[in-house]
Amino acid sequence: MTGGEERHAMPRSPWLGRERLAGLVLLGFGVLTLAAGARLPFFTSGGVGSGLMPRSLSVIVIGLGLLQLWLARANPGPSTGAWSLGRAIPVAAGAILFALTIRGFDIGGFEVPELGLALAAPLTIIVAGMADKDARLGELLIFAVVLSACCIGIFRYALGLSIPVAPWLIGY
Amino acid sequence: MWDMIANLGLGLSVALTLKNVALCFVGCLIGTLVGVLPGVGPVATIAILLPVTLSLDPTGALIMLAGIYYGAQYGGSTTAILVNIPGEATAVVTALDGHAMAKNGQAGLALGLAAIGSFIAGTIATVVIAALGVPMTRMGLLFGPAEYFSLMVMGLVLAVVLSRGSILKAVAMIVVGILLSCIGADMETGRERLTLGLHMLHDGIEFVVLAMGIFGFGEIFKNLADPEARDVVKAKIGRLWPTMRELRENLAPMLRGTALGSILGVLPGNGAILGPFASYAVEKRLSKTPEKFGTGMPAAVAGPESANNAGAQTSFIPLLTLGLPPNAVMALMVGAMMIQGIVPGPQVIERNPELFWGLVASMWIGNLMLVIINLPLIGLWVKLLQVPYRLLFPAIVAFCCIGLFSISNDPAQIVMAVIFGLIGYALWKLDFELAPLALGFVLGRLLEEKLRQALIISDGNPLTFVTSPLSASLLVVAVVALAIAVSPKAQKSREDVFKDA
Repeated sequence: MTGGEERHAMPRSPWLGRERLAGLVLLGFGVLTLAAGARLPFFTSGGVGSGLMPRSLSVIVIGLGLLQLWLARANPGPSTGAWSLGRAIPVAAGAILFALTIRGFDIGGFEVPELGLALAAPLTIIVAGMADKDARLGELLIFAVVLSACCIGIFRYALGLSIPVAPWLIGY
Repeated sequence: MWDMIANLGLGLSVALTLKNVALCFVGCLIGTLVGVLPGVGPVATIAILLPVTLSLDPTGALIMLAGIYYGAQYGGSTTAILVNIPGEATAVVTALDGHAMAKNGQAGLALGLAAIGSFIAGTIATVVIAALGVPMTRMGLLFGPAEYFSLMVMGLVLAVVLSRGSILKAVAMIVVGILLSCIGADMETGRERLTLGLHMLHDGIEFVVLAMGIFGFGEIFKNLADPEARDVVKAKIGRLWPTMRELRENLAPMLRGTALGSILGVLPGNGAILGPFASYAVEKRLSKTPEKFGTGMPAAVAGPESANNAGAQTSFIPLLTLGLPPNAVMALMVGAMMIQGIVPGPQVIERNPELFWGLVASMWIGNLMLVIINLPLIGLWVKLLQVPYRLLFPAIVAFCCIGLFSISNDPAQIVMAVIFGLIGYALWKLDFELAPLALGFVLGRLLEEKLRQALIISDGNPLTFVTSPLSASLLVVAVVALAIAVSPKAQKSREDVFKDA
């Protein structure tokens, strides 16, 4: 599991080196879970309390994070390279759009209509598909329609999942 | 011995019903498909299909899901040989010499050897499971909570030892995985834990959501950021069946690969993935012409391919006999059993013998099917490989969304999986391995449950873990394994196993 060649480049700042960042992430996560579980009891009269595992494991994660930082003190590791988040955003947006429209959603007074699989699926496919640098809208459009029809056929009718298809048209 | 044959007979009678053969076929076909298509693996696929299995009976459901798993191992090697992209992590080694053979015009031979090796390995592994099933279950029945706890600790330590790269990072991932499994209502008191007040986290994180997030969405983020060059072999595929001579030459690598794969497959974590690497290293060391490895040695395909298939099958052993899933796929199998009301553990073989033996027998049938259906279908798989990734990933996104929604008809699960996808991508960027994270998460809840039970039984005395001889010896193995793994010498040989490939 290694990325492309660009990952061997030197980071701009030693704190952005892969190994140091890894240590910082562990440290941060450990502190977060320790804080979140701070009120959980270690022991109760009935035996182990609900806090024993979370709190002791958080301390271990913090310890590992510090150790990682110490190990990376001389060699902070290569740069993590370009993160290309621009590519991830359409994919994430497409999936979240599906979550919002499949059964409808109410965000503070603004109501997202219940579109069902018949519209939510093509919408997701098109939005997510735009993430590729070679994306072509026309091709995606046709693909989205065909694939959505297949999905409805397979998941709703052949496999019998109770997923809404087109409530605005056929009522389910 | 006779018991085993009788048991396998029972299994065959279950697995050979029309419905179960059909389900096995469907599983193998879907498995090969996802194995062939890069960017979608068995974990995401099984996760998507989990809600679907509700409408099947437990045996049929498991037969189909198992088919997906070993089918994917098989399909993964097809891509590795023809396109130089290992469709699955276990096919990384196959890509080295397999693709080189394909470039030399021996694609057919490589595919044929992979198929035959896989079949031989599958057959032997089936017998291994059948033979170990009963004794392992008996052992499992002797285990109390303290022993189970120690066994899981040992398993997690072995997973660290077998993982690639930094040991510290692997340990950290396991601990983070266990921590994530603590989120949600406490199993005894119902008290909310680590939810940060988020409603979404109140019921805890479903493993399916985590798996689809890091192995489904995460893979897509990764592939989009770092596109792989696809290099489909243009040369002719050539004859598929090896000659008797070629078969004879490769029989030994196949058997050695099967042995290595079977043993490593039982171990938790990377076990099944390590098999092919170990086999490659062994074949290279035994070869008279080690310098030719990498240029298209048939033994370097036959051995690792047998190892990966054997490992895929023997990794069912801890699940079926002890109820402990050794990797992410097996954890999903636990999910599939639980929806059907079957609690995995040593009691399964007694209470549901038709399920246990039916599943074991279906593996052999499935392997036979893979050889028979797939070799003639190679042309179709090659065509599928030409589906461009720009169309493939939106389809995967749509499938994941449908699967995630169907778990509990809750759109919030999709959002959570997207977040895990982004986390998985970030962790990959920081060179963390995700397999230990998944394993820690999978075993986390069980680990805490057994810890609490053991301490209740012993009246809060933590010495209970060392006063039981069985538990103590498991912990000793864990400590020794960890000590060996961090020693500089072992660090080096650990790297060597992967470096050869």
